[in-house]
Amino acid sequence: MSTYDLNFARWVYENVDGGDKMALCMQCGTCSGSCPLGAQMDYGPRKLFMMVRAGLKDKVLESNTLWNCVSCYNCVVRCPRQVPVKYVLHSLGTAAVRAGIPAATKSDNARFARAFWWSASKLGRTDERIVTALFYFSYGLSKGFKMAMANLPVALGLVKTKRMHIGAPYMCKNKGELKTILAKAAEIEARHAK
Amino acid sequence: MTDKTSRSRTILVVGGGISGITAAVEAAEAGHDVVLIEKTPTLGGRVARMNRYFPKLCHPTCGLEINYQRIKKSSRIKVFTMSSVAAVKGGPGGYTVTVKTQPRYVKPSCTACGDCAAAATSEVANHHNYGMDKVKSAHLPHTMAFPMRYVIDGSVVGTPEGAAIQAACKIGAVDLDEKESSFELEVGAVVWATGWRPYPASNLTMYRYDDLPDVITNVEMERLASPDGPTGGKIVRPSDHAAPKTVALIQCAGSRDLNHLPYCSRVCCLASLKHAAYVREQMADAQVDIYYIDLRAHDKLESFVQRLKRDPQVGFVKSKPARIEPSGAGGGAVVCGENTLTREVYAKNYDLVVLATGMQPSVIEGDMPAMDKDLDAYGFIFPEGEAISAGVASGPLDVSMSVQSATAAALKAIRVASV
Repeated sequence: MSTYDLNFARWVYENVDGGDKMALCMQCGTCSGSCPLGAQMDYGPRKLFMMVRAGLKDKVLESNTLWNCVSCYNCVVRCPRQVPVKYVLHSLGTAAVRAGIPAATKSDNARFARAFWWSASKLGRTDERIVTALFYFSYGLSKGFKMAMANLPVALGLVKTKRMHIGAPYMCKNKGELKTILAKAAEIEARHAK
Repeated sequence: MTDKTSRSRTILVVGGGISGITAAVEAAEAGHDVVLIEKTPTLGGRVARMNRYFPKLCHPTCGLEINYQRIKKSSRIKVFTMSSVAAVKGGPGGYTVTVKTQPRYVKPSCTACGDCAAAATSEVANHHNYGMDKVKSAHLPHTMAFPMRYVIDGSVVGTPEGAAIQAACKIGAVDLDEKESSFELEVGAVVWATGWRPYPASNLTMYRYDDLPDVITNVEMERLASPDGPTGGKIVRPSDHAAPKTVALIQCAGSRDLNHLPYCSRVCCLASLKHAAYVREQMADAQVDIYYIDLRAHDKLESFVQRLKRDPQVGFVKSKPARIEPSGAGGGAVVCGENTLTREVYAKNYDLVVLATGMQPSVIEGDMPAMDKDLDAYGFIFPEGEAISAGVASGPLDVSMSVQSATAAALKAIRVASV
C-alpha cells in the first residue's frame, strides 16, 4: 500500500532547488537514458519526478535514485525542458536526511557526507584518513574495523606513492574565523527557512 | 497613401513551393496579375523532394503537374526563378519591391536536350538530393523542373569546361556572360510563401549525425525512397549500401526541445510512420522501431497510424533516446535511452537510424530586416500581422494544410490589392 501526500508535489516545487522547473517535465526519459547509473537506480529521475507529482512522498524520500547521482550533468544539458535534474536530486536528498528518513540518513552517501562535513567544518580541510575513518566507524566498531582493514593495502599504496601523508592532519590556519563564517551561514540559512 | 487610380493590383508571391504556387494560381484565376519569384532554379520546393505525401500518399509529380498546368494556362502569372527579394518599401496596397536575380547561364530558349550536361566534366553537390550525391555542373535541377530548363553552376564560368559547354549547345542557349541583375516591381500585395528548412541535425551532438554515416535525417530518407533519388528509390544504408534489416526512427530530433526548436514541428510523426511504411514495403523481413515522446499524428490520418500499429514488424517505443553511439563493427549505430513504459534502460543496435528533424522557417530574423516586426519568437510570420503568409512560413504545416493556408493567403492578398 502506498500512501499519497497530495501536498508533496507543491512542497517540492516550492522548496527544492530547481523544483520550480519540475512542472515542465514531459516524461521523455532523456535523463534516465543519459544517466551513467540509470540502470542501477531504483526509479531513475524521470519516474521519480512522476512519483513526486503523484505525491508518493515516502517512496521518493526513501529512493536510492537520490544517492546514485554522480553529478555528471548529462541530464541537465540534454533535458529538452531544461529541468536542472541533478540539483533536484541532491536537494531531495537533503530533504530526506532532514526528514530523518532511515534509508537516507543511513545511506553510504549520507554517512560519507557527514564524515566529510565534520572534517571540513572542524579542521577547515578534508583529511583523507579522518574522513575515511569516520565513514568506516559510522557502521559500528567491528564493521568499521573490517572495512578499514580491507582498505589497508590501498592506504599503504597511497602512502608509498606519496598520495597520502603520515603525521598531523591538515588544518586551516585560523579555525576561529572559519567558525564565525559557518555560524553566519547557519544564521542566513535559518532566515531563509522562515 | 498612393493615388487609388494609379495603384497596382498585381500580387507578388515570394517562394515557388507548393504554397507559393497555390497562392499564385488561386489569385491569378480570380483575375489578378501575379508575379511568382523563386530563389532556386525551379519551382516545386520541398514537395518536389518528397517521395510520396499525405493524405493519399501520392507521388508529388501528380500534384505539381496539375499546378504547373494551371500556371502555363494562365496568362496572368509571370514566374522568375533564381530570384529573391532584396528590399521592400511601402505598405499594404502599394509596395515597391526590389527583386535580385542570380545568373542561370541558360537562356529561355533551352530545350532541355541535355547536350550541355554531356559536355560538362566537373560535378557539384546535388541540391535536390540534399547533397547525398553529385550532378554535372550543367544539369536539370530535377525531373519535374519548372521551367524545364538546365542550369549551369557558376564555378565553370571562364574555364575551358565552360567553353566546351557553350560550344555543345546547338541552339546557342548557353550564355556565360550573364550577371546578377535586379529589377523593381510595383505591387498591391505580397504573399510570403518562403517555406522551411530542416533543422540542422549537426546541432544534435548526442545523436552524432556528423560522424556516423548510418545516422540520416528524415528528408534524406525521402530522397533514398524516391525513384529520382541518389539510389533510384532503393532504401540502403549509406555506409555499405546494404539493405537495412533493422531501422530506428527517432521522433522529436530537435523539436519540442528548449535547447533546439521549442515547438512541435507537427508533420514528423506522420512522416516517420510513412517512412516505416516505405521500409516495410521494400523489405519484407525488416524490423522498424519508432521512438517517440508522444505520437502526434495530426490531421485526419488516424487510420494510417492504426494500420502501422497492426504490423507486428513495426515497434513503438515510448522514449526519447538519450544518445546514439557507434556500433562495434559492420556499420549501423546503437540507440541508447530509457523505455518510459517499462523503465528499462536499453542500448539497441540498428542498421539505419533516421532522425525526424523538425521544420525551421527559411527566412529567419535578420535575413529580411523589413520583415522582423512580423516574425514571432520562432521566426514564423504572425497570422495577425500586416505581412500575408502562406504555408510553412506561418508555422509548421503538412502539404494539404499548406495548400489551405495558401488559398486563404491568396484571398487576403486579393482584398489588400483590390482596395
